[in-house]
Amino acid sequence: MQPKMITLTVNGRKHQVALNPDETLLNALRQLNYTDVKNGCEKGDCGACAVLLNGKAVNSCLVLAWQADGSEILTNAGLGTMDNPHPIQEAFADAGAAQCGYCTPGMIISAKALLDQNPHPSEEEIREAISGNLCRCTGYAQIITAIQIAAERIAASALVGSGQGGKQ
Amino acid sequence: MPEFDLLMPQTLPEALEMLGDRAPDLTPLAGGTNVIVYMREDRHRYKMLMDLTRLNELHGVRREDGHLVLGSATTIAELLTDPLIAEHGALLRQAAAVFASPLVRNRATVGGNLVDASPAADTAPPLLVMNAEVELASQKGVRRVPMDEFMVGVNETLRQPEELLVSIRWPLPATRSAGGFSKIGLRKGAVCSVVSAAVMVEKDEDGLCQSARIALGAVATRPIRAYAAEEILVGQPLKPQIIDLAGQLSAETVKPIDDIRGSADYRRRMVEVLVRRLLSRAAQEIVPRE
Amino acid sequence: MKYKAKPLPPVELPDLRVVGKPLRRVDALGKAVGSTVYAGDFSMPNMLHGKVFRSSQPSARIKRLDVSKARELPGVICVLTAKDLPDAKLVTDMPGQTGQKRRAGTDAPVLASEVIRYRGEPIALVAAETLDIAEQALERIEIEYDTLPGVYDPLEAMKPGAPVVYEPDNIVATWKIRKGDVQAGMAMADMIIENTFSVPFVDHAYLEPEAGMAWMDDQNVIHIRVCTQVVEHFRSIARALGVPQNKIHIQGTFLGGGFGGKEDITVEIFLALLAKYTHRPVRLAYSREESIMAHSKRHPFIITHHTGVKRNGRITAAEIEMISDAGAYPYLSPYVLLYATVTACGPYRVEHLKVDSTSVATNNPFTSAFRGFGAAQACVAYEQQMDEIAKALDMDPLDVRRANYLSTGDRNATGQQMKSAVWLEETATRALETLGEKTSECGPIKVGQGFASYMQSYGRITWFHDTSRAWVGLELDGTAVIRCGVPDLGGGQVNTLCQIASEVLGVPLENFIIYSTDSALTPLAGTTTATRQLYMSGSAVHQAASEIRRVLLEYAQLHFEQDIENLELADGKVYVKSDPENFLPLAELTKMCAAEGLPLSNLALFKAPFTDPIDPETGQGDIFPDFTFGAHAVEVAVDTETGEITLLKSVGCHDVGRAINPIAVEGQIQGGSTQGLGYALMEEVQVVEGVIQTPSLSEYLIPTSRDLPTTKAIILESGTGLGPFGAKGIGEPSLTPAAPAVANALTNALGVRIKDLPLTPEKVLAAIEEAKNA
Repeated sequence: MQPKMITLTVNGRKHQVALNPDETLLNALRQLNYTDVKNGCEKGDCGACAVLLNGKAVNSCLVLAWQADGSEILTNAGLGTMDNPHPIQEAFADAGAAQCGYCTPGMIISAKALLDQNPHPSEEEIREAISGNLCRCTGYAQIITAIQIAAERIAASALVGSGQGGKQ
Repeated sequence: MPEFDLLMPQTLPEALEMLGDRAPDLTPLAGGTNVIVYMREDRHRYKMLMDLTRLNELHGVRREDGHLVLGSATTIAELLTDPLIAEHGALLRQAAAVFASPLVRNRATVGGNLVDASPAADTAPPLLVMNAEVELASQKGVRRVPMDEFMVGVNETLRQPEELLVSIRWPLPATRSAGGFSKIGLRKGAVCSVVSAAVMVEKDEDGLCQSARIALGAVATRPIRAYAAEEILVGQPLKPQIIDLAGQLSAETVKPIDDIRGSADYRRRMVEVLVRRLLSRAAQEIVPRE
Repeated sequence: MKYKAKPLPPVELPDLRVVGKPLRRVDALGKAVGSTVYAGDFSMPNMLHGKVFRSSQPSARIKRLDVSKARELPGVICVLTAKDLPDAKLVTDMPGQTGQKRRAGTDAPVLASEVIRYRGEPIALVAAETLDIAEQALERIEIEYDTLPGVYDPLEAMKPGAPVVYEPDNIVATWKIRKGDVQAGMAMADMIIENTFSVPFVDHAYLEPEAGMAWMDDQNVIHIRVCTQVVEHFRSIARALGVPQNKIHIQGTFLGGGFGGKEDITVEIFLALLAKYTHRPVRLAYSREESIMAHSKRHPFIITHHTGVKRNGRITAAEIEMISDAGAYPYLSPYVLLYATVTACGPYRVEHLKVDSTSVATNNPFTSAFRGFGAAQACVAYEQQMDEIAKALDMDPLDVRRANYLSTGDRNATGQQMKSAVWLEETATRALETLGEKTSECGPIKVGQGFASYMQSYGRITWFHDTSRAWVGLELDGTAVIRCGVPDLGGGQVNTLCQIASEVLGVPLENFIIYSTDSALTPLAGTTTATRQLYMSGSAVHQAASEIRRVLLEYAQLHFEQDIENLELADGKVYVKSDPENFLPLAELTKMCAAEGLPLSNLALFKAPFTDPIDPETGQGDIFPDFTFGAHAVEVAVDTETGEITLLKSVGCHDVGRAINPIAVEGQIQGGSTQGLGYALMEEVQVVEGVIQTPSLSEYLIPTSRDLPTTKAIILESGTGLGPFGAKGIGEPSLTPAAPAVANALTNALGVRIKDLPLTPEKVLAAIEEAKNA
């Protein structure tokens, strides 16, 4: 077993790291201090470690870091910050969708993947999209509300942005 | 996780060469949703893995000689969005929609699901009733194996160590045919099948059953066909009485086990229910001739 | 409409500015953007990695333990066994607290030395330079066991001749209630209804497995960063390590969920030991599998009800037996059993009552606290029994309950008078009315509705003499700081304290900073357990903030030349009520007060009512400060051919006294009921001969987003709770009635009852079959 230099672009930042083949993307990201990617089960059951890998939401515990060599990775922390949160993050805060907050980063990643594909999802579509993200605190209700609020806000700001609404 | 080496071929010939040189110590790895879990559980220790995700040859869906051909590294998620699958692989799509979770579907591949050969593999019953074949490639060439022969036992297939499952192909379903896939799990999201079933029936011009195929998951050491039940349907009108009988015969075919998810008895009984329901629905879906 | 909401008694709630408003929690955005730091997220330079070596046997004697090959492995810094820590125990029994003296000395050892009592019991600790080396070291530990006969069923364990888990016998705790004359009461009955109900082992399945890090400083203080519900465990850790209590410092973190599973000591004791022996920082994080193996479970119970009833539905007498499986060590089993015992007959008037309850040791995984704490298990039984009584009498389930519901002023099973509002009918009728008409049935799909009422205490057992402390202070720019040792499990504990102080001081919520969950630097607030923090620490914060308010207003009185009654503190200023333009920013006021040397901070101590222990022979006496009351109603669709249950509707209605933050209260009702619904439908830690068959989240199933509909949360506010602004507690209560509501709805749909949770498809089908054959 020999380490190999691989390149991971995480939240827009390029990292070159020497990793052993048995390192999962989850562990690699956490070692690079992306600790918003949470370890909940390491078997793909809980979704706490979800990231966007080249735009697709995946369990980072089920990806070997080498398999992600050269990939673009987006974690929840890459979406926004305390000063400039992403509309989904803002909606999660407003709707009470984060209780303990441990499932939240993965949950928001699944929400982001959904809204990227389907900007106006139904409740059923939201339930399906987050069905791989376990939450033990909220019972999912406020998470679903948050994703609905986020969808509305993103649509509204797109209208403003395209000049079809708001002030010119 | 125990140590292993990882090979990263960029092309199919390169991959086949690696397999030819290093089998049986080299295990192909696609989405990793089984292999990585087995390593975590210490169920298997692998000396060497070979990543398949970069092999473009294993991706894509195409029509070819009246068949649909699916690259083995097609993800379960891709089954849900591909227009050719929607048209010619509706059953597979139904299975994909209830396969694990969206996060897993973005990694898990059809080929991986088949090579893993879990008795509960959700893509297997649809492929069995669609009369699919798998294509196995090695440096020596390519061979085709019918789905019903490919899986031989729990986590066992006819794939030789130096072979790679490169594609899955099935004849385009006939016009007067219909079918469905259904599974029972212990919860509604992200769940392993306690029992699964797929059926495909074709009616002749007179509305009689011309062919019928029934496949069952998680009720034997491998996903199986219920041939006895299929046979009694052929040449018959698809009426409740014969459908009930097919359900009963299907249940008699299976050899389920007791495990933490359910008892053998429950599984057997659910086979009857699922087969009956799927056949009834399929029979109604085929529009009779004017 | 069959059910109409009972009109509420008139309630006058004071108009508040901050409390009662659905504000964004102070911790919400940090969690949403992923910047909140959890216990597993820390690392330090020169850090070691810890691992725990555990027993593979459930019942054995250690014949030989040899760690020398592990010690020799390069990179291994330390391997500890019981030899290194003689007599180190996890002491859960505080002096004078249990009333269960017979079990003194049965606390779990930190590391097993001789006898193994459950599979997964810790035997050795390793600290190494890397995680890989630590894992390799575990594989080099050599152990041989002599298997001992084990006992895995509490009923077997109670029989003479059963293997004894520890001397003198397997009885961990017993409680009794003797009230009235049960024989006479049964003689008055027209009918006696008897049923036995059971509930399984359940895992907390918080998303965050236990984790932490510890290090020693230049004063030999051991600092531990850990996710725990109880920072006060620093005392037990000090005792186990043989160091003074002031040399253990727990810096808690936000928890990724607790639900009782992080109430007992988990990784923190191992971290402390490894830091002490290596003098280096050590990190230890459990995998999911280790978490499930290593932490407590919810107690399985077997509960038998004999209820005497009149034809009009009135209960004349009840005789109830409860048996719980304590697993291999007592931990909190005596208290969990007490909670179950006290609520054994539910929120009903039962004049003639006899309860006998027993907690039994086995070689199963140990059981301890879990949201609901025995009262949840009791509710599963008593609310199914109420429906069975209704069925036997051919009465409406609500009418039977109505004939027996406790009212304010009544006395409960232990003779404690109910002083706050007892809105049982109010909550049940609202839940049922909201549930609405039954959805129509179709083919093999049957539909049923059911509900459950409950009572659940908030605040700890009053003979524990519970206290909490909080410090509130104003800065010179008008911002505020709270210091309070409260651990936040995710339920909004710290936000609630800020919202309370914001109301009292008029400092906007966003101008608060709270320091919490630190055993040395924040005043000790007690455990985040027993639905006590809003009541206890909320009251302490209210007290401290009120004292500062008094100081501010007394000074402002002079400044404005107005009576205090004419002044108000709100929106960051003090102003004259009749003339709001006449104001002073708080920043100005605090500077003026500071210049005068007035105290702008206050440390408050809040004490719950103190009582003596109950009479052990009769179980009579006051036990809890107060209770929350409410109801949950559900509608289920049952596929009678597959046994699958689909939950169609779910309504929770609770009197929370006063909702400090309605979003947080709704969150508790949604989340708590989801855990309760999972309890009913799918959750079970399957254990065979002491071995867990559901070792990960692949096998141990909890509800996903696709499993349940959104619960309609109906929040009632009687304003009569003991907490700040009349608040009661809702953390545990939200869970308690959900599971029996599902069981009752299933019976309503099918006409048969499954008396053993969870209600799996297979059990449903078997019950349908049995009914057909009967």
